[in-house]
This record gives sequence, C-alpha cells and structure tokens, in this order.
Amino acid sequence: MITAFIHQFSSAKSFVNITEKLYPFFLIVGVSMLILGWTWGLLFAPQDAVQGNSYRIIFLHVPSVIFAELIYFFMAVCALMHLVWRVKLAAYLIKSAAPIGAMITFMGLLSGSIWGIPTWGTWWQWDARITSTLILFIMYLGILTLHGSFSNLEKADRLMSILVVIGVVNIPIIKKSVDWWSTLHQPASISVSGGSSIDPSMLYPLLISVIGLGFTLIALGILSSRSYIFTREKNKKWILEHV
Amino acid sequence: MFNLAFDNFNEILDMDGHGIYVWSVYLIGISIIFLSFLIAKKRIVDIQKKINKKNASS
Repeated sequence: MITAFIHQFSSAKSFVNITEKLYPFFLIVGVSMLILGWTWGLLFAPQDAVQGNSYRIIFLHVPSVIFAELIYFFMAVCALMHLVWRVKLAAYLIKSAAPIGAMITFMGLLSGSIWGIPTWGTWWQWDARITSTLILFIMYLGILTLHGSFSNLEKADRLMSILVVIGVVNIPIIKKSVDWWSTLHQPASISVSGGSSIDPSMLYPLLISVIGLGFTLIALGILSSRSYIFTREKNKKWILEHV
Repeated sequence: MFNLAFDNFNEILDMDGHGIYVWSVYLIGISIIFLSFLIAKKRIVDIQKKINKKNASS
C-alpha cells in the first residue's frame, strides 16, 4: 500500500506539473524575503558590541550553512526512497540538488572564511566545525563526480544513492562538532527547542533571511530538477507538453 | 528597531573598516545565486531546443 502511494505521487510527470505552478511563488516570496532580511540586517540591525559590524555577515553565512546541511538531509531521504522503493524521481532529485548543495556549502565556507579574518585573525582553521563542513562540500563534489563517471545511468543512480546514505553520518557530526570538541567556532546561538541567545533586533532579520534563502533555493531546485528530468525523460511522450 | 544604524552613505560602505569583508561576502553570494539561476534557466532552454529539433526532424 505504501509502495503504491509513493509511486502514484512520485512520477516525474506529476512533479513537473505541480512544480511548474509553484515556481513563481517560491521565487517571488524567496527573493522578496531575502531583500527584506538582508536590508534589515545590513542597514537597520544594531552594531554588535563585541564583533562590531563584521557580524553582519551572519545574515548570509548562517542561512547558507543551515541549507548546506538540510539539502544533504533531503538528498539522504531521496536516496532511501530510491534504494528501497526504486523511485526514479528520487534519484533525479538527488542529482539536481547536489550542485545546489555544493554551491551553498561553498558560500557558507567562503563567507565564514572572510568573516574569520577580522574576527579570529585568520581565514582558515582546521577545527572540527570548519573541517566537517569542508568534508560536506567534498561529499557533494564526490556525489556529482561518481554519477558523472558512469555511462549506465540506472547504475549511476543506485551507486550515488548508496554514497549519499553513507555520507549522511557527517551531518550530526557537523551539528554537534562545537559541543563534542573544543573549536574556534562559536556554539549554536539558535536552537529549535531551546530558544535563542541573539537579541530580537538581530534575530528577526536572521530568521527572515533563513526563510528567504530557503524559498529561493527551492525555486532554484525546481529549475534544476526540471532541466534534469527533461534530459533523462526526453524520449517520453509527456515531455512534449512542456517544451 | 527600524532606525538606520549608520549616519551617512560613507559609513554604510566603510562599516568601521569591516565594510570590505561584509560587502564582498554579499556581492559574491548574490552573484553566485544569480549565476546559478542563469545556468539552470539556460539548461532548460537548451534541452527544450534539442527536444523540439528532434521532434521536428522525426
């Protein structure tokens, strides 16, 4: 019954039909919230007492690293769906999400490095949080390279899914690295269960930036997955309705 | 909460010497996101052209 349900709602055709309508919503809301969050954070939020104005990088850095991890988690769920129920769409979504994950992880690492120069006096430190995030970036590149190295795409999908499931062990390591080891990176300032240590005047623009980047990345994911689905399913009749 | 944190445009750019770090991060970030959308859009157009060409010839 579960298998029938999953297969009914996971065809590439219905995915393209549904996301075609949702794309403008995610793009407009995402970009508007990003503009609002970043303008608020850059121009109106007060200066930090310790870090001065350099802390304003937080409004791009924190959303980037949150989605670097969330995209990988999403890929791991898709990988399980592909391995257990053989859902083709799940493999397409992994392949479409991986470049976005790599891009956003790179943005997180780069913004963190630039933030480190005025704050820590160094742009790089081999501490647990930064190193495990670098491993996440390498994982994304590895997944893309592995998939690209096979001419048999079904086999490539399967092996890519296995690698994604193995790599998911890195996500809790990134999350807990600041608690398990002594690191230069500060501990989490916001938690889902335990509130926040950030002043509301800085927290609200940060939350708006997180939601804005999330919606923008969903819009990008829709575009990326559509182009990949078109490539993989180009010989199917239903594709003609969308070109 | 909605008072501008700076007195003039030069202060906004300089941010007490941190402007170079802050603005470069946002400039790079926005460029990367914008470029990703352009690449994704171009890929869709390319594959659509390919499919249309194939259908026209068959």
